[in-house]
Amino acid sequence: MKRTLPLLLILALVVVFAYLFATKGVISAPTELRPLGKFYLEKCMIGGDFAAGSPEAVTSILWDYRGLDTLFETSVFFLAIIGSLMLFSFKVKEVVREQELTLVVRSVTKIAAVMILAVSASIALHGHLTPGGGFQGGSALAVAPLLVLVAFSRKILETSGLSLKRAIVIRSLGLMGILLTALLPLTLGGYIMQNLPIFPKYIADQLTSGSLIFYNVFEYLAVGAGFTAVFLLISIPEKNFVEEEK
Amino acid sequence: MEESLRPSGGKKAMIHLVILAISVLIGLVFSYLAITERDLLKAVGFSAIQAVAYAIAFYLLMAPDIVLAYVAISVGIYSALLIFLIRKTGRYEV
Amino acid sequence: MSLFELFLWSFVVLALVATVLISLYGIAKRPNLVKKLIALTILGDTANLFVILFGYRLIYPVAPPVLAQWSESGVKELLRKAVDPLPQALVITAIVIGMAVNIFIAFLIIQAHRLYRSVDTREIAKYGGE
Repeated sequence: MKRTLPLLLILALVVVFAYLFATKGVISAPTELRPLGKFYLEKCMIGGDFAAGSPEAVTSILWDYRGLDTLFETSVFFLAIIGSLMLFSFKVKEVVREQELTLVVRSVTKIAAVMILAVSASIALHGHLTPGGGFQGGSALAVAPLLVLVAFSRKILETSGLSLKRAIVIRSLGLMGILLTALLPLTLGGYIMQNLPIFPKYIADQLTSGSLIFYNVFEYLAVGAGFTAVFLLISIPEKNFVEEEK
Repeated sequence: MEESLRPSGGKKAMIHLVILAISVLIGLVFSYLAITERDLLKAVGFSAIQAVAYAIAFYLLMAPDIVLAYVAISVGIYSALLIFLIRKTGRYEV
Repeated sequence: MSLFELFLWSFVVLALVATVLISLYGIAKRPNLVKKLIALTILGDTANLFVILFGYRLIYPVAPPVLAQWSESGVKELLRKAVDPLPQALVITAIVIGMAVNIFIAFLIIQAHRLYRSVDTREIAKYGGE
């Protein structure tokens, strides 16, 4: 009861102040679009010179209109993962799990991990048509190796092909892909990260919105592999590290 | 031109606002409980419930891109990271 | 708009302000480093929700900023109903950057535990900055 008393006090204060503000009309809700939002919504698909070629306004802002923001945000993520990996750069002994989890957990994990792979690939590849994209797909992809890591052991994850070195290699491939797609228009006479006249809007009759689909695929690989590397390192028990330090 | 585009669109607009208010209220209650809890594993559980309430709020505010990213990151990755961290450092806050 | 709608909107804004204040209390006054990290994640999420809240439009019917029909009339229909797309793009960037910093802080907490054998800031302060 000692902890709920301040909570009830806070709730009562919030309700009283909300009623006071409502009667005086202090906080008003917006009902009109701002001019900049209106520009992006009008021009993202059928805009003539300013079009990004994708009916999804948020993805076209992320990778076309404000593409440099996203490039630097990807590099911030990259640097944070490098900093974390450097703190853990010791040799480790192999860990053997003493007891296994039950059959129910293991069977459900097998089914769920495969389904997560399919769903995350769909989210990432359809990022220019529906809500979704590289980050969303990559974060969903990171949950599958985490489930396998917890339900089985690190050794099974490594024998099925996903060791720490391989995760770092996949992440570097994704980042190099983003950099190449950003610098390619320079060689063809455009600007950095330019989208529509350089890259084709339709590939074999499907709408691919120029460079947006390449950015989404490479970002998917980079984010997913980065998280997998983090979880592979943080799941090693402490006692393996301490003995190597001496 | 239909009459449905006016600021207070009758009962249906009110349902959006009521559910939004309920989910933000759940977020407030569970974030308070998470911060004043001495057992750190329970605090991680409360923080996951607060993340689910905020994901519902993001959906009601018509932001589907953010719901996809936020659910995977906040309920999946943060909770797993914090549980590994608690296992290495200690379960109870003194 | 009616009093009940104004009351609900003010309630939402003030409840989020209260969550920010609670998480600031958690960062400042709780001595455990892991509890400070939990409070920091709550603070980041609430700040992102604020930004989306100010890009919303309180009309009905309301739609997300995705173009449904690829024609001029479809664009006009979208402009009548859609919410602002720019805050959503900025919030996705903010979520990813916040998460990268939180992962780095988690690894630093493990390193502090290795060096000082404790994650209590009162115990770490006794070392005097070594």
